[in-house]
Amino acid sequence: MQLEKIYYDNKIVKAFIIATVIFGIVGMTVGLLAAIQLFYPLFNFDLPYTSFGRIRPLHTNAVIFAFVGNAMFAGVYYSMQRLLKTRLFNDTLSWIHFWGWQLIILAAAITLPLGLTTSKEYAELEWPIDIAIALIWVVFGINMIGTIIKRREQHMYVAIWFYIATFVTVAVLHIVNSFEMPVTLFKSYSWYAGVQDALVQWWYGHNAVAFFLTTPFLGIMYYFLPKAANRPVYSYRLSIIHFWSLIFIYIWAGPHHLLYTALPDWAQSLGTVFSIMLIAPSWGGMLNGLFTLRGAWDRVREDAVLKFMVVAVTAYGMATLEGPLLSLKNVNAIAHYTDWIVAHVHVGGLGWNGFLIFGMLYWAIPRMWNTKLYSAKLANVHFWIGTLGIVFYALPMYVSGVVQSLMWKEFAADGFLKYQNFLETTTQILPMYMLRAVGGTLYLTGVFIMTYNLLKTAAAGKFMANEEAEVSPMVKVAHSGGYWHHILEAKPILFTVLALVAILIGGIIELVPTFLIKSNVPTIASVKPYTPLELHGRDIYIREGCVSCHSQMIRPFRSEVQRYDPKGGEYSKAGEYVYDHPFLWGSKRTGPDLHRTGGKYADSWHYRHMLTPGEVSTGSIMPAYPWLYDQFIDKELTAGKISALRTIGVPYEEGYEVRANEDLDKQANRIVEGLQMEGLETSPDAEIIALIAYLQRLGVDIKSATANQ
Amino acid sequence: MKKILSILTLLISVVTIGYAQPIEPVPASLWDDPMITFYVVVGFIFVVVILVLFVAVYMLQVLNFMVKQATRERSEKLGIPYKEEPSLWAKLWSESNDFVPVEKEGDIMLDHNYDGIRELDNHLPPWWKWLFYGTIVFSVVYLIFYHLSDTLPLPLQEYQQELTLAEEQARKLKASNPVAAIDETNVQLLTDATALADGKSTFLNNCASCHRKDGGGDIGPNLTDEYWKHGGSIQDIFKVVRHGVQGTNMIAWEGFISPEKMQNVSNYVLTLQGTNPENPKKPEGELYKPKDTPADSTKVQASL
Repeated sequence: MQLEKIYYDNKIVKAFIIATVIFGIVGMTVGLLAAIQLFYPLFNFDLPYTSFGRIRPLHTNAVIFAFVGNAMFAGVYYSMQRLLKTRLFNDTLSWIHFWGWQLIILAAAITLPLGLTTSKEYAELEWPIDIAIALIWVVFGINMIGTIIKRREQHMYVAIWFYIATFVTVAVLHIVNSFEMPVTLFKSYSWYAGVQDALVQWWYGHNAVAFFLTTPFLGIMYYFLPKAANRPVYSYRLSIIHFWSLIFIYIWAGPHHLLYTALPDWAQSLGTVFSIMLIAPSWGGMLNGLFTLRGAWDRVREDAVLKFMVVAVTAYGMATLEGPLLSLKNVNAIAHYTDWIVAHVHVGGLGWNGFLIFGMLYWAIPRMWNTKLYSAKLANVHFWIGTLGIVFYALPMYVSGVVQSLMWKEFAADGFLKYQNFLETTTQILPMYMLRAVGGTLYLTGVFIMTYNLLKTAAAGKFMANEEAEVSPMVKVAHSGGYWHHILEAKPILFTVLALVAILIGGIIELVPTFLIKSNVPTIASVKPYTPLELHGRDIYIREGCVSCHSQMIRPFRSEVQRYDPKGGEYSKAGEYVYDHPFLWGSKRTGPDLHRTGGKYADSWHYRHMLTPGEVSTGSIMPAYPWLYDQFIDKELTAGKISALRTIGVPYEEGYEVRANEDLDKQANRIVEGLQMEGLETSPDAEIIALIAYLQRLGVDIKSATANQ
Repeated sequence: MKKILSILTLLISVVTIGYAQPIEPVPASLWDDPMITFYVVVGFIFVVVILVLFVAVYMLQVLNFMVKQATRERSEKLGIPYKEEPSLWAKLWSESNDFVPVEKEGDIMLDHNYDGIRELDNHLPPWWKWLFYGTIVFSVVYLIFYHLSDTLPLPLQEYQQELTLAEEQARKLKASNPVAAIDETNVQLLTDATALADGKSTFLNNCASCHRKDGGGDIGPNLTDEYWKHGGSIQDIFKVVRHGVQGTNMIAWEGFISPEKMQNVSNYVLTLQGTNPENPKKPEGELYKPKDTPADSTKVQASL
């Protein structure tokens, strides 16, 4: 057989690796800042760009899409060339992919601090950037499928299956969840409203975890772990079963983010049962990874690469057992909205993604630079400091989550809440927040040590931009005996189509009925669209990221109804959200729920509270919003906002956009006059007035219904 | 292992101490707070349990070693080559996973070779397979119980049950404690320290945000002077606390806190009279003199 000389493209991998390390440091530093802000609000710096509500999405986007995203591309491009015995499909496409992705990150780093956000978690970027993401993703897809097609290996290895599933699913998720109605270049409203928006968002959000943070990294594990351990993969059979069951089942599990909310019961139950059924498929990946190390455990003791990978795979196993348990209703009732969830995602993020990436870098860089790792000792130090960091991060968050949740729910003997003031439950857990920041600092320190070690390694070696390999051309062998699945592995297009079908089923069965069957969202006649001023206020609420800390979803628990609406006694109903584009239910209560906040306090209370929250509520960790008092709403946008919302189904009368500003002025003047009586002078166009109008509207429509009856 | 243990111990002690940090006025001694004692004791027990476990495992290992040593010596004496038995745990582990032994791997090696990565054809671990089947059965049963047979309550039914239970508790509470509900007609002037201390904690938690911790007034009026907008008797204060004042920042606390707590906090507010905090808000409303002061009895009667 004639051997052919080919060159693997290491340069593109190097570029993605550099981006990984830089954005890892940036993203984690921003995370540390956010962690410190939670016990030391001074670190919000009283500036719009650095306040928690804008910093938090910056952190999540930076670590997910910049750090983990770049690492994914590095790992996929490195392993795919070698597994398929070919250079990447097209160098130009590779570089368009690289620079396109970095530009998207740059756009995110600029727009998020500016408050340009859709507020949907992990999909915060505004519509022009969404389009850019879709385009670059397609470039990645073409480059990947192209590489597969020109392969010299007849069959695709399991890592490639996971890459294919990643590509098709993320494309579907991103496009469906990003349907939005543009108002201006950087402002849009989600196409979906209320319950439907929530379902689409968490179908997306959950599967962003599944297909951006999990499947590509399972593929990476399947390449780098057997390579580093120099052991055969434990079970091919297990690979097949856990791959197909994982991608088929994962897509259904989204509704477990919405248990006890206004989402229809049947959808909630599907979310729960599919999460439970997900335990075994997820563990299949963990077992195949750990059992591959059989016969190599003695080396795990010395080799930092293997150590990182073992902890990564173990963290994956723990997180994928914890996730399904959190989807059980009775566990979820305690954990949802608390720091428990924060602990859960960080075990996955820091443990699984972070440690697997570190293992991959320590393994690949010496090979790409044709040298040895500069210091095995430093790599071990990194391992221990990183592990300690995860422990110090997760344990305090578990304690804090459970403590706070129990305090929220505790009734005194007299039938009233023991901790009626939400703030009491916040100040109680501040020591945990401090410990968490210690954990974060340790982890970040480890990353700095790694960066130094890798730089030294690279300096000592010589980079091979084009790595030579001798390969034989593809020999097609007819299938005889063995597994039928092996035939499929030689048919990439059919494989891609089947993967697409597998992930579409769950999504369609859950989403379509929620949209088409009316009884899923019972309407409430007294619920009316927002007034123009409230709409501006709502957009400020979105811009400032209030949803990061405040939910708008009172679950049907006695303790929550008693806390948030003791007089009305109403939990949150699906029909109350029909005009909410986007929905703002939130996923974390660092502050109290706001869904029934309308009419609870006077306008002047809000006015003072937003200016000096720490003084109005002693000990409050909420940032101050001084800029809302000297920035003005842009009334020229009113008409555009009204028309955009009408297009997507909010029943403003035809022509109302022309008169909307009259109503807006009237409502603003009423609020300003009220404030004046208390000696507070402000302009009716000040942003704070719009925000107050919105806050005072929250959850009151349902009360006018009871009043009318 | 030792390293991890010492870290854990350290962490637990930090966590227990950190968690127990009091937020509100520090009690005279840290140990006055029963919760702190509780957490320290729990933390202590936890550490002891871990130590005992650690020692027990260590003892077991020593015993094991001694038994093996004895067997080896005996077999050497008898001239039989010594072969170590795999531990019970290792056997169980290998069986439950249905491992093909590492030495016999060649038999199940597939002809796959991807960049040097080979693949074995091990069986699916039986326990894993049963776990998978189990979760599927669980799911079917779950859906039947919640959606077909109505055996288990869905969220709103759960909520109704919770409310029914609460009502029952409230009825029992009333039966065992037949004092008529406190309202502005029968609210009492109290002087006992527990009630006032409870009132103080309610005040700091809920009222201080507008009236300041010392009652000197900020968003809400000064509560330390003799001027009141809505009257300064215990009944007046209770009424304002309970119903709030329409059109002002004073919200109605009825429903949020119990009538007893409203009585306690109203009494605590009265103790603030004449405390002269620094930098108070200027007086609002009218001068109020308590009616039991003889000099004013005529005026009070007149106002009645």
